Amino acid sequence: MRVEKRLGYPHLGLGVGLRTVHFDYILENHPSVDWFEIISENFMDSRGRPRHILNQIAERYPVVMHGVSLSIGSTDPLNFEYLGKLKALAREIHPHWISDHVCWTGVAGRNTHDLLPMPLTDASLKHVVERIRTLQDFLERPFVLENPSTYVGFTGSTLSEWEFIARMAEEADCGLLLDVNNVYVSSVNHDFDPEEFIRSVPHERVVQFHLAGHTNCRTHLIDTHDNHVVDPVWKLYRLAHQLTGGVSTLLEWDARIPPFPVLHAEVLKAKRHIGEGLADTAISAGDPEPDGASVSEGEIAGWVEEEHAVPHPLHHVAAVVE
Amino acid sequence: MKDAGARPEAMQLTQLQRWFQTVVTHAEGVEAGACSEEAQRLIQLAPGELERVITRSRALTAAERLAIYANAYHTRLLECLGEVFPMLKRTLGEDGFDGLAFGYLQEYPSRSYTLNELGRHFPQYLEQSRPAPEDAQSAVFDPSAPEDAAKLQEWNERSPPPQPSPPGERETPMENWPDFLIDLARLEWAIYEVFDGPGIEGRDPLAANQLLAIPPERWEGAKLAPVVCLQLLATRFPVNDYYTALRRAKAADAVPIIPSAEESFVALTRRNFVVRRYNLSRVEFELLRALQADHPIGEAIASIAPAPGIEFDQLAAQLQLWFRNWTAEGFFQSVSIDPSNEGERI
Repeated sequence: MRVEKRLGYPHLGLGVGLRTVHFDYILENHPSVDWFEIISENFMDSRGRPRHILNQIAERYPVVMHGVSLSIGSTDPLNFEYLGKLKALAREIHPHWISDHVCWTGVAGRNTHDLLPMPLTDASLKHVVERIRTLQDFLERPFVLENPSTYVGFTGSTLSEWEFIARMAEEADCGLLLDVNNVYVSSVNHDFDPEEFIRSVPHERVVQFHLAGHTNCRTHLIDTHDNHVVDPVWKLYRLAHQLTGGVSTLLEWDARIPPFPVLHAEVLKAKRHIGEGLADTAISAGDPEPDGASVSEGEIAGWVEEEHAVPHPLHHVAAVVE
Repeated sequence: MKDAGARPEAMQLTQLQRWFQTVVTHAEGVEAGACSEEAQRLIQLAPGELERVITRSRALTAAERLAIYANAYHTRLLECLGEVFPMLKRTLGEDGFDGLAFGYLQEYPSRSYTLNELGRHFPQYLEQSRPAPEDAQSAVFDPSAPEDAAKLQEWNERSPPPQPSPPGERETPMENWPDFLIDLARLEWAIYEVFDGPGIEGRDPLAANQLLAIPPERWEGAKLAPVVCLQLLATRFPVNDYYTALRRAKAADAVPIIPSAEESFVALTRRNFVVRRYNLSRVEFELLRALQADHPIGEAIASIAPAPGIEFDQLAAQLQLWFRNWTAEGFFQSVSIDPSNEGERI
């Protein structure tokens, strides 16, 4: 089970996404969380409180930068103003690595602020690989890319998502952020075997895992980041852990965000799944399959609110006014 | 499909991405989006032919799958705008606000990598799309009333609101109610900018004793540099007071009555990363604006001295009080006592 290359990046342990609602709690209590992942765009232009707080957190905790606007798959030119700011922020807060998604966010100068799916073809693979190389040259570091949750497939696609991701990582020589929840969500939405996905990506290139909750809309799943991690995702996580030898793990929670201790406790559940023996019986109660056979309160809430379910809700910073 | 030999796999990525974006961001939904001129120019599809481009799943059609993205696009951005303009949203109610914000997103779709820019043109959009002043005159405006929600809807559809209904419980008829909403949006955008823009945390603003240290004979030619986060706003309605009243009202409480039109002025600044708001008189506003425009103190005072109803003695006493208050609130960064020597700052 020792596969530990990860492009030389360290194993940071179990971390959580840094969210505004937890700023005060973190600064006052200094919780013993292993590391934080930040949304790069929320801080790269900030000259106020968000950046001030990030500076304090980055002094005390390991930090990783995770972006949502790189748009590596877009046919618009790479935005070097954006990349310059990304690089400048990295120079100042010293993240262990920088990541974003295998997607496009807009075209023709527009930004939908969504993680839109790529057609999985040789042509789009070539396009993405070339841009990752340019990106890595500019940032002067290996970049890390995440598989997004997707809700449509293209009739023109000729590759499976895991083939696309595996070839992309090898040809561009970049790292992978394996979002285990996204694998699960997409596997339901596109009717593929999530374990085949996990088994097929180059494990030595996996730098980080993401975990999150989603919403079961019966006909499909939506990656809402608003709930506990469900058992099928923990099961995939155990497999991914075995195959990679274990990498930094990060819990995302972006809507209906619970108090920090609840968030932290959720990611600490990972210990039960990566502990000795990795027994299936280690699964916690209360986060069951989302197929309706055994539905937790969280899943029921997801059903009730499915009309309002928003994929990958974006974390936005609200002003503090007296 | 007219392009690339009608084979989806041969479609150019650019073409496919432009088509996809056109379809999922269309105001009337994905089917209408796919039928739009722009989408048809990129990929010609007959109605019901979406599955030539997008696969269906076991449970969902191509249109239903695309609708997930369309719904997410609008929901996410409306939510974000609601966070930038929270008081406007409370005033209008969710439907009223979302109606205007939806129209805004059609006119001003995001072109930035950051959501922080999403609301920048919203006040401008409201100004451009507002009902003509003569149609809004004397209107009694209550966003919670169905007829006024309808007016908002019509605003969004670019037609003037209906004739005002007779005043109900409200005693003072609202004049130019769109101006109130536009002013509130301007205030909220200014607050948002001051919150995350440049500030002076970590540095001391100008202290009162530094101001007093200026020799009297050099006072007139001295220049006061306001702090970088000071923003001045002139509004047609007292929106700053309204903002305060609405903040005090709990979420479940009724929205305070919209005030009557009254020229109002506000200064915004930031201390310890928190935005502070101060009501100003017109004369204070003009004086601060002159100082912000880099006029020497003497010139700035001269520009307001002829203001009607202000006696010189009264003004002198006022000036002392204002400068003391403004300094105490950290409005100024430094004073340059010799304009010919920019380096000589206190």
